[in-house]
Amino acid sequence: MSAPLDGINVLDLSWVMVGPASGRYLADMGADVIKVESSKRIDPVRTLGPFKDGKTGPERSVSYHNLNAGKRCIAIDIRRPEGREIILRLAKWADVVLESFTPGVLETLQLGYSDLKQRNDRIIMASTSLLGQTGPFAKGTSGVGTMGAAMAGATYQIGWPDREPAGPFGPWTDAVTPRFIVASILAALHRRSVTGQGCYIDTAQAEAGIQFMMPAYYEYAANGTIPERRGVAGSPLQVPQGLYPCSGEDRWIAIDASAPTHWDALRAVIVGLRDAKFDTIVGRLRNRDELEAAIATWTRQQEAAAVEDRLQAAGVPAHVVSRGGDLARDVDLRDAGHLNKINDPVFGEAEIEGPRFSLDRTALAPTRRGPRIGEHTNEVLAIVLGMSGTEIAQLSEAGILA
Amino acid sequence: MLDDVRVLEVSAPETMLAGRILADLGADVVVVEPPAGSPGRRLAPFLDDIPGIERSLTWHALNYNKRGVTLDLSSPDGKAMMRDLATKFDVVIEATSSRRTSPLDSIEFAPRTIRCTIAPFVSTGPKTEYAATDFTIMAASGAPAMTGDLDRPPLFFPVPQAMMEAGADAAIAALAALVARDRDRLGQRAQVSARIAAMMGSFGQALVPGSGNPEGKRSQGAMTIAGVQVPSVYECADGHTLITIGFGPVFGQMTQRLAKWAAEEGHADRRIAEINWPSFIGDLSSRKVSPSDLQALVDGLKSLARSKTKADLAEASRRLGLLSSPVMHMKDVAEYVQYRERGLFAPVSVDAGREIDTPARFAQFSNYSIEIKRSAPKLSEHSAEIFEKELGLSKTEMQALFVAGAI
Repeated sequence: MSAPLDGINVLDLSWVMVGPASGRYLADMGADVIKVESSKRIDPVRTLGPFKDGKTGPERSVSYHNLNAGKRCIAIDIRRPEGREIILRLAKWADVVLESFTPGVLETLQLGYSDLKQRNDRIIMASTSLLGQTGPFAKGTSGVGTMGAAMAGATYQIGWPDREPAGPFGPWTDAVTPRFIVASILAALHRRSVTGQGCYIDTAQAEAGIQFMMPAYYEYAANGTIPERRGVAGSPLQVPQGLYPCSGEDRWIAIDASAPTHWDALRAVIVGLRDAKFDTIVGRLRNRDELEAAIATWTRQQEAAAVEDRLQAAGVPAHVVSRGGDLARDVDLRDAGHLNKINDPVFGEAEIEGPRFSLDRTALAPTRRGPRIGEHTNEVLAIVLGMSGTEIAQLSEAGILA
Repeated sequence: MLDDVRVLEVSAPETMLAGRILADLGADVVVVEPPAGSPGRRLAPFLDDIPGIERSLTWHALNYNKRGVTLDLSSPDGKAMMRDLATKFDVVIEATSSRRTSPLDSIEFAPRTIRCTIAPFVSTGPKTEYAATDFTIMAASGAPAMTGDLDRPPLFFPVPQAMMEAGADAAIAALAALVARDRDRLGQRAQVSARIAAMMGSFGQALVPGSGNPEGKRSQGAMTIAGVQVPSVYECADGHTLITIGFGPVFGQMTQRLAKWAAEEGHADRRIAEINWPSFIGDLSSRKVSPSDLQALVDGLKSLARSKTKADLAEASRRLGLLSSPVMHMKDVAEYVQYRERGLFAPVSVDAGREIDTPARFAQFSNYSIEIKRSAPKLSEHSAEIFEKELGLSKTEMQALFVAGAI
């Protein structure tokens, strides 16, 4: 069976992460995603690493491929009237449009939802920005995912009490927001198949981030407590749950043996935990420091992977705190085919991730590399829009296709 | 939008956000819990810090807009009722633990049913049998190893995240199968690995070695550029603010405006404002600029930030178009005028007579609005109405099932 979005067309006007990652989900589901870029204003993610073999260059960013795998790319200057007309014609072709301009910019270019809807009444258009399209601070506000994390209450809570907030790794809300965009688009596609109605979807990255922080938000909203930075990993209500040092530099094992059966299993492995004062949960809470030290004494001399193996053999939830190299070698990811080789004409081989879920009947699309800037311009203009070679040459001559 | 879609959610921490996203988008979602209550009811924090089966705030946050029934899926009656209920629903969502067996395995689902299963690791992989919890799955995601300071252990989110990541991807997987079914009327099995879902937040760490690069190391969100430590979080008069210094044609413009502002306010030398920040990295190699210029900018920003409040800095960020935002705590989030006026919040009850504003609208639509239709179900709150309507059970039969502990 063909992939679930086979036959669905997506016009991806977005850049950096949130919009492209959303488009990647749709491409994985079989949609024909056309990314619109311009060599005059390249996708900034092309300037972010990792770069193949550490050498920078707009066609060498592995992050770019990971976010744009399986898409086509056309290079157009959408600020020129002829470029704008191409977008409007592609809007007629598209089922879904993604965009991540600073709120207000597309309206200025007369490429907002109302302009696109005039050409295609059934269109589903999703906008993403830091704070959304409405509200007092929306218009003109641009932002990145580190700002989203800060405004979602995440950055404040991640760090050591005696230091400044460290915040989550990377532009965190860039990883969260695509989920809400894609779920909204799929729900809209379902409704459209029933009613024929399209819609406009407006997501704010900071607001999406709050969804993943809801328990902490409720702690304030219901209990009036502002959750603070704890530093140490593991819940204060669950013992033992924490990180323990292993041999080698910066090697850690995460162990969560807080459930009674897991605790019994851990005790069977580590002799130092057999003291009667650790028999009960209250005993473990009251003697937490001593208990943690006993585990650390046991882990410290061993390789992290060996600890993982030994504890898993005993049925204790444990996993190495995986670094890049651990992930690249991970048997689970390898077996799942989650890391896929791509072969790029510019830099050769690299690996990118596969889809984040699987379907057993309508399998997802195979993982392909991302497109080069403007790689499919001619093909899209000729086949999707039916332009003649002369028309395309004229546009090219006029500098529209750059 | 999903008002013709019915979802049966066999409740587990990982299913909760999935079910809620679908419910928010209009689906009729019924959670199935064991008679003693879902494990999600035992997740902290608790209302007034007092534990109780109706007091988990995590439960409240992730289960509103759903109805709830109880069924003992290990009993023959519970299994039979589950099988019959499933025929009335479009989507069944479940999460399996490490041992991989699910109480739903014995049920033969109708061809049109979509069954979405969340597991810690992928279903065929060598880690299939791994014992796992949210904490160990997050360890396996690659994000914590990159979070925090290298002189201390890695940092984790204070809120379980694997269940959020997996739940959000499960909603997508179920909807993808639904869109496929709209085309050919056939359901299927969808599978989500919580670990792979959580890897989204590692921003491709798994790809770093394979592209010929050294592994990343954590560094408190600070970048080291030309030997200069460039922090992202700065202390200000009443807390902290986040300031991103970027280069290149897009982000460099924002740095330019930042440098100009720091100079105007007397916290940096005028010369710093005159440096061409978009081309700074390239200019370093041609020695037009030096690392000490960047150090001077960072020092200027530290001094500037200390002289301002979060609100001052937020206002300047808007006015000047900077990549800067206040580091908000949850009180700031609750009070933020942008969220308030935009309509993020809607009231929901967490206890008799106690309403809070929940950040309900994760998206806003031109012709749909996420609304709070009901608060999270109390244990077994809708058992009678659902078993009567969907399964045609009589009052006597329901009492008999209760006496036997099956519901």
